[in-house]
Amino acid sequence: MKNVFSLLSLEFAKFRKSAVIGLLSILFAIMLPTVIFVGKEFKDVPPPLPSNEIFFNFPTVWDYLGYAGNWLVFFFLGLISVFIVVNEVSFKTFRQNIITGLTRRTYFLSKFYSIIAISLLATLYFMIIGFIIGVTHAEEFSFAEAFNDTSWAIPRFFLMTLGYTSFGLFCGFILRRSGIAVLFYLCYILMLEPILKWGVHYRYIKNESVNFYPMNSIEDLMPNPLFRFADLIPRKDIDFSFLLNYQQATISSIIWIVIFLAVAYYTFIKRDI
Amino acid sequence: MPVLSINNLTKSYGSLTAVDGLNLEIEKGHVYGLLGPNGSGKTTTLGIILDILRQDEGTYEWFNGAYGEDARIKIGAILETPNFYPYLNAAENLDIVRRIKGVDKVKFDELLEIVNLAHRKKSAFRTYSLGMKQRLAIAATMIGDPEVLIFDEPTNGLDPQGIAEVRKILSEIASKGNTVIMASHILDEVEKICDHVAIIKNGRMLASGPIGAIMSKDTIIEINAQNNEALHDLLKNHPAVKTVHRKLEWIECTVDESESIESFSRSIYDQGIVPTRIVARKTRLEEEFLQITSS
Repeated sequence: MKNVFSLLSLEFAKFRKSAVIGLLSILFAIMLPTVIFVGKEFKDVPPPLPSNEIFFNFPTVWDYLGYAGNWLVFFFLGLISVFIVVNEVSFKTFRQNIITGLTRRTYFLSKFYSIIAISLLATLYFMIIGFIIGVTHAEEFSFAEAFNDTSWAIPRFFLMTLGYTSFGLFCGFILRRSGIAVLFYLCYILMLEPILKWGVHYRYIKNESVNFYPMNSIEDLMPNPLFRFADLIPRKDIDFSFLLNYQQATISSIIWIVIFLAVAYYTFIKRDI
Repeated sequence: MPVLSINNLTKSYGSLTAVDGLNLEIEKGHVYGLLGPNGSGKTTTLGIILDILRQDEGTYEWFNGAYGEDARIKIGAILETPNFYPYLNAAENLDIVRRIKGVDKVKFDELLEIVNLAHRKKSAFRTYSLGMKQRLAIAATMIGDPEVLIFDEPTNGLDPQGIAEVRKILSEIASKGNTVIMASHILDEVEKICDHVAIIKNGRMLASGPIGAIMSKDTIIEINAQNNEALHDLLKNHPAVKTVHRKLEWIECTVDESESIESFSRSIYDQGIVPTRIVARKTRLEEEFLQITSS
């Protein structure tokens, strides 16, 4: 009954004046184009990097900007997706929206459409910023070269954003209390998953399966490009790559996104609110 | 045609049964009071029929199923507290409700006028007093011409002036032929606003029907005489008297409605006692309520 656009404009009307969400969006918008310029400070980059120009030139600008974006999306956009759920829980508009007439399904859809829209906008912004940085550092301009990216960085950036925001919705819908949901979102990604991976899983099963954890898969969509070099260094005990390849990361991320959203949806449908 | 039919509704929280096999039918145009002490299951019942709580057993149906799962579009409801976006102003908050209801144009100014908030139209919701918040919530329930209005403890926590204002608005809404369901633990409120009442305790329905039918037709008589002892004995053996109580200042008895005051007075006079004071009144809902819920 309610279409995508009416639900998105409803969400926009709810949050356009929210200070928290406004602040997080603005910081993301400022930091994405600026963080990469920290690379200008590193005049002498260690081998095997040829020079710090690699951060700004096509096609590697997509990888480095993408990796900067990885952290920023995790923090700012992921928290936005937690807040669009938990804020409504603490305002109790969560209940009131349903009482007023949204079905639980449409309510959930409005949040799902929101993270799709956030991911699309962030990806578009990533494209524009990457393009501008690349073009201003290129000797001669060519569209073909700018987007001649065989590794699909732009769709990967979209999927990565959708991954973090899906996990954000999951935390919001499952935990509901704002402090707990935000804390869990941050702690799981920064601490719990690494502990699970290396402290528990790796202790018993020493193979590549350790890389398929949800946040690791999503991270590996836009990994630290320098990690690729880490695999070149011979190691004694680890005989698999630190990173998933893009195909593995893509498939694993899609599966986790579906799980997060499905669990959040069915929990929301079943529980008292 | 019933607006709402509730069938054997049951819900527990752990070992506590909040709603216990509740049946209720509400007809179009009724102003229905759900009356019960705090914790009697009123809000839980409303929560279930508004789809925010899940019942363990039983069913309910709005409008004979005419609108399916979108029935709440046709209902204006407040549950427990007025819930709005704190950083949005009155008009912006009402606009959110308008969007959810899927209505095109709403005369927000007129609505805010009705609830006496027009002067604060542009202030953020968080700056409102509780009374103002409650009045904004009442305005929100009227968006989109709802077929039923639901108010849950609408005067809870308000100061006397706020209570008076909200009651006045509710009486106006009720008198316009709207179907209204109002939960309250305040008898006076239900008595003044509603025409039907369901009395609930421990999640069970104790009595329901038109207020007149719930109120018993017996007459209560307060009576004094020079010798109250003799009067008391006389009343205890009087054929028309159902109960007798010694009060501090007078004797109170309930008398069958078929007995007129005149013949009652004469029967006492004929027994040699002259009443010095006699007051007759109908039972009040409060007494009925206390009587029903205490048993």
